[in-house]
Amino acid sequence: MDVPVYYSKAEFIETDTGNKVSRRATIAGPQNIILGGKTIISSGAIIRGDLRRTGPGHAVVISLGRYCLVGEGCVMRPPYKTYRGNFNYYPMKIGDYVHIGANTVVEAATIGNHVVIGKNCVIGKFTIIKDCAQVADNTVIPPNTVIPALALFSGSPGRFIEDLPESTQEMVESQTKQYYSRFQPLER
Amino acid sequence: MAPTIHYYCPCQSGESVQTPPPPHMASSSASFHPLHSLFFCEECDAVRCNRCVSVEVSGYYCPNCLFEVPSASVRAEKNRCARNCFSCPICRSTLQVVASDPPDGGDGRPSVSLSNVGEPPFFLYCNHCRWDSAEVGITFEKPTGLAAQLQKFEDSAPESLEFERLKEHFEPFLRTSSLSSLSHVPSTSSHHLPTSSATAAASAALARDVPGVGKYNPLARSRVGRDRTANKDEMPEYKSRMEIGVLGQLGSEGDSSDVEALRRMESAEEIASLEQRWGNSWTTSLRTSDLRPLRIPLHSKVSKRCPSCRHILIKPEQKAQSVRYKIKLVAANYLPAMTVALPHTQGADATRRPQAKVPSASDDRNAGAMMAGKSYPFHLALTNPLYDPIQVRLSVQRMHVTAATNSTAPEKARRTPFAVSLPTSSFPVAAFAEAWEYDDDDDMFGLEDDELGLEMGRTRDKDGKGKVKTVGVLEKRANVTVVGGEVVIGKEARGHVKFNMLVSYTYRSDDPLPSEDGAGTPSRTVAKTPEVKTFTFYTVVDLGPILPREEKLDPDI
Repeated sequence: MDVPVYYSKAEFIETDTGNKVSRRATIAGPQNIILGGKTIISSGAIIRGDLRRTGPGHAVVISLGRYCLVGEGCVMRPPYKTYRGNFNYYPMKIGDYVHIGANTVVEAATIGNHVVIGKNCVIGKFTIIKDCAQVADNTVIPPNTVIPALALFSGSPGRFIEDLPESTQEMVESQTKQYYSRFQPLER
Repeated sequence: MAPTIHYYCPCQSGESVQTPPPPHMASSSASFHPLHSLFFCEECDAVRCNRCVSVEVSGYYCPNCLFEVPSASVRAEKNRCARNCFSCPICRSTLQVVASDPPDGGDGRPSVSLSNVGEPPFFLYCNHCRWDSAEVGITFEKPTGLAAQLQKFEDSAPESLEFERLKEHFEPFLRTSSLSSLSHVPSTSSHHLPTSSATAAASAALARDVPGVGKYNPLARSRVGRDRTANKDEMPEYKSRMEIGVLGQLGSEGDSSDVEALRRMESAEEIASLEQRWGNSWTTSLRTSDLRPLRIPLHSKVSKRCPSCRHILIKPEQKAQSVRYKIKLVAANYLPAMTVALPHTQGADATRRPQAKVPSASDDRNAGAMMAGKSYPFHLALTNPLYDPIQVRLSVQRMHVTAATNSTAPEKARRTPFAVSLPTSSFPVAAFAEAWEYDDDDDMFGLEDDELGLEMGRTRDKDGKGKVKTVGVLEKRANVTVVGGEVVIGKEARGHVKFNMLVSYTYRSDDPLPSEDGAGTPSRTVAKTPEVKTFTFYTVVDLGPILPREEKLDPDI
C-alpha cells in the first residue's frame, strides 16, 4: 500500500545511522552539523554549518534529530544578530520527526519534535517552534515569532489558525517513519 | 486528489436515525471526520467528535511568551497577556521591544552600548510590516512590564470606566440572583434525566450570568417569581457618568470629523480595515494612525468530556507546552485505521517519480480521476490498533442512496451511477504487537508469512482467479490487511465516486481488563474464555472525481 518514493542510488550517501544525504545538497561546514539518524537531506538543499559563532573551539551550528526531512531546495541558515555591538551567529536546534517542505528557508533558533513545515515557507530569524506545531505551505513567519505547541500557523505574516488534534504526535511520528521507509533507492 | 476515507460521528443525527446522510449531500461532510480527530468513549462504547464533546478550560497561557497565567488573574488582565507580548495593530504579527539607537559615536557607526538592555526610550517594532509604536507616540522608559503600562491607558478610557461602573452597579443584583439560581440547581437536575446534567449546569450558569433568564426556566419559574419581585425592589436607577452623545463621539470623534478626515484622505491605507478594528472592545477611530498595539489574547488548554456520560476523554498535562496527556481516549486506538488507494493511479505515480519528483498541479488533479463507463479496482488497507485480532465485515450502504434518488427528481437518478463490490465475507486483521513497531524491520513485513492469514488470502486469490481477482483479501502483514474492492462506473456518471461504508468488527473483549492491559502474553488472552463483541461504525469513502466520457484524457497522464 505504501508507494515507495524512489531516489537514484548514486545520488545519495547513506551513513551508518541511516542518514541519507544527497550529493546535490550543499553542506557547508559539515563538521558543525549533527544529524540524528534516519534523516534525509534532499537534493538542492543548502545547510550552512559554516556560519558558526565566533570564538575558538568546536561548535555545533545546526543539529537535526531523527527521522527529519530537509526538502528539496531548502535553505537552513543559523540566525544572527548584533548583541552589545558584536555580530554573531547562533546555533539552530531541530528535534526529532521534523519535516521541512521544499524550497523553505529556515532561520529558526529552535524547532521542537514532531513539527511539520510546509513548502515555500520563510521561517524568520530566532523563531521558536514548539512540539507538534505545524506551518502551512507558503507561510511567512516573521523573526522572533513563537509558535506554541499543537498550533497551526498560516498566512503572511503567519498567524495562529487552529489547535491541532490531540493525536498529532502519533500521526506525525508514523508519517515521518513511513516516509523514511518509503524513501527507497532505485538502481540505475 | 488522493482518495479519502472519513469516519462517521452520529452526533449530528437525531436519536432515531443512526445511519449517516447520503454521501453526495453537501451536509453529510459535517458528520464525517478524519479518524485522528475523533475520540472514543469507553463507557458509552461510542465515537465522539470535536463537535459533540463538552470542553472545559484546564489552563491559560500566552501563545507568545508561553507564560502560564493563573486562572485567578485571567479576568483582571482581561484575557490578554499582561507581560511584554503585543501584536501589531496593522498585520497582527508579534511586536518586538527595541531600544533606541545608541548615541552616534561621530564616526558614522553607532557606539557600543554599555547597558545590557539598550538606550531608552524603548518602543515596539513589527518585524513584518515595520510599524513601530513611536509612530503613534507610545514609548517606554523601561523595557519590562509594558503591558501594565499600557493597561493603565486601557483602564482609564471613559468607556472602560463606564463599564466598570455598570458592573459595580449590577453587582448586588447579580449576587442575589446567582444565589437564587444556585439554590435551584439541585431541584432542576433532579427532575431531569442524568444525561442532562450538562444542560442543567449550563442553564444555571446562564441564569446566574444573565439576570432575568432564570425566571424563564419553566422548572424554576415558581421559585424565581418570588426572588424577582424582591430583586426588582432593590434595583436603584443607574446614572451614567456622562451623556450618551459624548460617549459616542469619544472614539470616532463623531460623524462630521470622520467626514472631514475622509475628505482629506489620500490613500485607502489611512482608514483601518474592519479586521484591524473589530477586535476592539470599544468604538475606535477609523484612522489607521490611531490604532494601538494589542496585548496578545491568551490561549487555553482544554479537557474534553463525553457529552452523554461526562467521562473525561482528553485531559492534558498541566504544563502549557507539554504535548502529553493524562487521559487520551482517541478513536484511533479503538477503531481499525483505514486507508484507501487506487492502484491505477499509484502505478502511474511510482513510474513517474524518479524522473520528475514534483508532479505538476494539473497532473495531480487528473491523476485520481476515473473515466465514466469503466471499472476500477481499489484497495482498502485496515490496520488493527487492538492487541487482539479482529474480524471485519464491510458493506456498502446501498438502500439509503437509492431511497434518496427515488424521492427526488429524475435527474438525481444519474447520481447513483456506480456500483461498488466489496468482499462479502468477513476477514481477519491480526493483532497489533509492539514488536512489529521496531523501525528497522520495516522491510521484513513483506517477506514474513502470517501462518493463518496469508494462506487464506492466497487460497481465496486462487479461487477467484480469472473472475473476481480484484475483490477479496489481497495482502496480510503484521496488523494490516489489504482488501480489494471494485467500482463499476456507469456511462452517464458525474461527480465523485463517494459511498458510505458500514464497517463492523468483532473482537474478543476481556471486560474485566481494559484491552491495553490484556496485552501481556498472547497465550494468556487466548486461554481466557473469549467473549466476542461487535462494534459497528460508518465511514464515507471518496475515491475521487469521475471524468465525463466525452472528455478525452489528458495525453500527459
